[in-house]
Amino acid sequence: MKTPYVFDEFFASGREESISPFFTQQGRRWGKNLALKSALLSALLLACAFALSFVNSAASNLLLIAVYFLVGTPALIDAIEDVRNLEINIDVLMTLAALLSVLIGSALEGALLLVLFELSASMENMVMLKTKSAVLSLQRMTPKTALVVADGLIHERATSDIAIGELILVQAGELVPLDGTVVSGSSELNLVHLTGESQPQPKHPGDEVPAGARNMQGALTIKVTRISSDSTLNRIVHLITQAQSAKPKVERFLDRFGKWYAPIIILLALAFAFILPTLLSIPYLGKEGGVYRALAFLIAASPCALIIATPTAYLSALSSCAKRGILLKGGSILDAIAGCSIVALDKTGTLTTGTLTCSQVAPLFKTTYSPAHALSIAASLERQAVHPIGDAIVRFAQAQKAPLCPIEDFKAVPGFGLQGTALIDGQKMSAFIGHPDYIEEKLPPHLLKSFTAWRAEATYKDQLSAILLIDDVLFLFTFEDEIRPESAPLISALISQHYDIVLLTGDHSLHAQRVGSALGIEKIYSNLRPEDKLNKVSELAEERGLIMVGDGVNDAPALARASVGISMGKIGSATAVDASDVVFLHDDLSSLPWLLSHAKKTMRILRENLTLALGVILFATTPALLGLVPLWAAVLLHEGGTVLVGLSSLRLLRMGKTTRQI
Amino acid sequence: MTHQTPPEHFQGKSVTEHLRDARRKGATASGEIHGEDLPSHLNESLSACSYMALALLLLWLMGLSEKALALFALGFLIWMAGSTALRAWAKMERLHRLIEEERWEIEHHRAQEREELSELYAAKGFSGKLLEEVVDVLMADDNRLLKVMLEEELGLSLEREPHPLKLAFSTALGGVVAALLLFLGAKLWPAAGVPLVALLLIAGSALFTARWDKRRSLNALIWHLALALFATASVYFLL
Repeated sequence: MKTPYVFDEFFASGREESISPFFTQQGRRWGKNLALKSALLSALLLACAFALSFVNSAASNLLLIAVYFLVGTPALIDAIEDVRNLEINIDVLMTLAALLSVLIGSALEGALLLVLFELSASMENMVMLKTKSAVLSLQRMTPKTALVVADGLIHERATSDIAIGELILVQAGELVPLDGTVVSGSSELNLVHLTGESQPQPKHPGDEVPAGARNMQGALTIKVTRISSDSTLNRIVHLITQAQSAKPKVERFLDRFGKWYAPIIILLALAFAFILPTLLSIPYLGKEGGVYRALAFLIAASPCALIIATPTAYLSALSSCAKRGILLKGGSILDAIAGCSIVALDKTGTLTTGTLTCSQVAPLFKTTYSPAHALSIAASLERQAVHPIGDAIVRFAQAQKAPLCPIEDFKAVPGFGLQGTALIDGQKMSAFIGHPDYIEEKLPPHLLKSFTAWRAEATYKDQLSAILLIDDVLFLFTFEDEIRPESAPLISALISQHYDIVLLTGDHSLHAQRVGSALGIEKIYSNLRPEDKLNKVSELAEERGLIMVGDGVNDAPALARASVGISMGKIGSATAVDASDVVFLHDDLSSLPWLLSHAKKTMRILRENLTLALGVILFATTPALLGLVPLWAAVLLHEGGTVLVGLSSLRLLRMGKTTRQI
Repeated sequence: MTHQTPPEHFQGKSVTEHLRDARRKGATASGEIHGEDLPSHLNESLSACSYMALALLLLWLMGLSEKALALFALGFLIWMAGSTALRAWAKMERLHRLIEEERWEIEHHRAQEREELSELYAAKGFSGKLLEEVVDVLMADDNRLLKVMLEEELGLSLEREPHPLKLAFSTALGGVVAALLLFLGAKLWPAAGVPLVALLLIAGSALFTARWDKRRSLNALIWHLALALFATASVYFLL
């Protein structure tokens, strides 16, 4: 069946024509990466024009006109827009130089400037387009409809039409569509992508539930407490939108440089046009005139070396990053990375695996039952349910080679636990496993007091996980969110690079402290909701550049607001991947220290390239135009400078191959 | 009782595709003069072929040299192809603006949109509880609602427009074919090759379009030829 067209995608892309709802499928293919296709075609036409210029100047000019039409027209529109906004930047200078070059018979050079500029701009736009879909993936996740319970009937209605106080039904496996309070039913909700809490949260009548949480077990009837536009997920959408607009725009190095360079060159060209005739006793007009020389200066001052200095360095750096499985959404991200001095990391899924692991099975009080017996019974019960804790117990039992036993009268109590009768060695034993509240109800009176006392202490020690009751024997199952093996070397490498490390998590403070102290992180902020994370990141990023590393939906606003957001491609939520600037495709954060040093080296090489390009202008082209150096020498230096800049950028490619380890 | 629909009714298409095509046919039959059932790119190609044929015929009558005609053909070709693309892009801009406005309406004036939807479906014969249910279902999904409002309220068809560049290429192709055939005609029969080929091209384009649209072919053929002769004769006698 054909998938219905999703308008949100079109609007989120900024009305990108390659996904326009009006175009046919074939039409959309025509529109894909049109700017890049146009730039590549222009490059081909330019090469043909250059080759033909030696044999047939008319044919060469015809092709050059096509090049000017294809890449000159959009450049002219952009330049006029910039001038209207009183911005005299490198784009304006380049367009002016390229168009004026036709007047002094250097149309080929002007076309080359336009093609190079359009190529780099279209490639950058191509990757930038991907960043526009951050909100879209979250909107896809947000349920658009809900089952409204009214007058004993169930109707499907748009979430945007549901008012506060109405009752909605959320079945097992569904996402909670709106924020509300549980009226009837019990279940467990998975909030990991919303808050970072890896343990499912039991929910009973009276408890609040956020929109976007996944209902894992029983059906819940919820009384809506917030309308759709004010729901938790929509608040995250707003937070991401706000964060993206508040994020300081990372300027390309060439833009920063161009802000003062372009006006100076234009002013100098004007000055030359008026001063040179007086100074050198030459006419204003004509081939040897002041105006002609001023135009020549203007064109020479935005040479190929200057134009290719930035894109070649960025592209080489991006390519070497790609070889390591690191995707950067644009070269300007490297500028931003180089300016950062704080690294903030999320806990669940980033420093830890995000999957619960059963670490220990121990009797709560003295007993003759062995933990192996307990594990067999627990695994036999849990294999019949779908639950992260159950999965962890079953995996642990498999690892311990604990045999399974038959279970009779199995019953799942959503939001609380499981019960059944285990058959071991011909003996029947009643077994209950689940939340302590659930087990407490089943305890015989003689155990209740000691269990309550233990529970109070255990909560403090953060040991509370799952309790198994077999007849009147209690076992404690402890779970951990396992720390990734690469996390410890990563943190020590970052510290040795003099970065400040901060741990930001929505998880419980005790869990955060455990992970933080195991990895040597001192600054720990826990129990953070998405807006708290965003505020903390905003606060830290105000002082210095901050890199945020995260993977969940709850990290998305912070990733969007940070100077640089880094997410992981495989385990990361689509929203986090979209909101971030850098994606580690293989989820291997051990390359992070390499990326940080690579960004700094890229910036150093970029500065060297620009110095080289400027050197050629100052020390060769300008004296030649003033008649102080032979023109052939200037041309040789000019072209040589371009080649040198290109070769210099290629050094960044080499780094990707040689520096494999931290 | 289930009705067995003859397979030829759907012509191998799904019911949805069949309905969409039927709606499209209706819209195009009542559309503007360039909106015939003929696919846009084919229409542009045939139009370009006719325009190029007539333009070169008129200039040939004025006594322009072959080189001058060839240069004119090149310039005219670039203009025709480019302006076709620009017109198509302008149309897309208008359509995108409309869709943006409708989306805003759906987000901000839900009650009014509901009224409009009720009116639209009441006109289709729905009433009472069934009408309420249909409106409820449509209002439940904004994505679906936007599609319905675009098609039902604004009468727009989605996924129908070819890309402007495809239209430009089709235009260029039509123009190139016409120019080449005219020059071939001039070479083979210098005295009357150009008018003959030009009239044949104009006649061929008119005939093809009329047959595709299932209109009366002879009428279309005669009218187009008469118009071409009228234009040519006017220039010839005033020379």
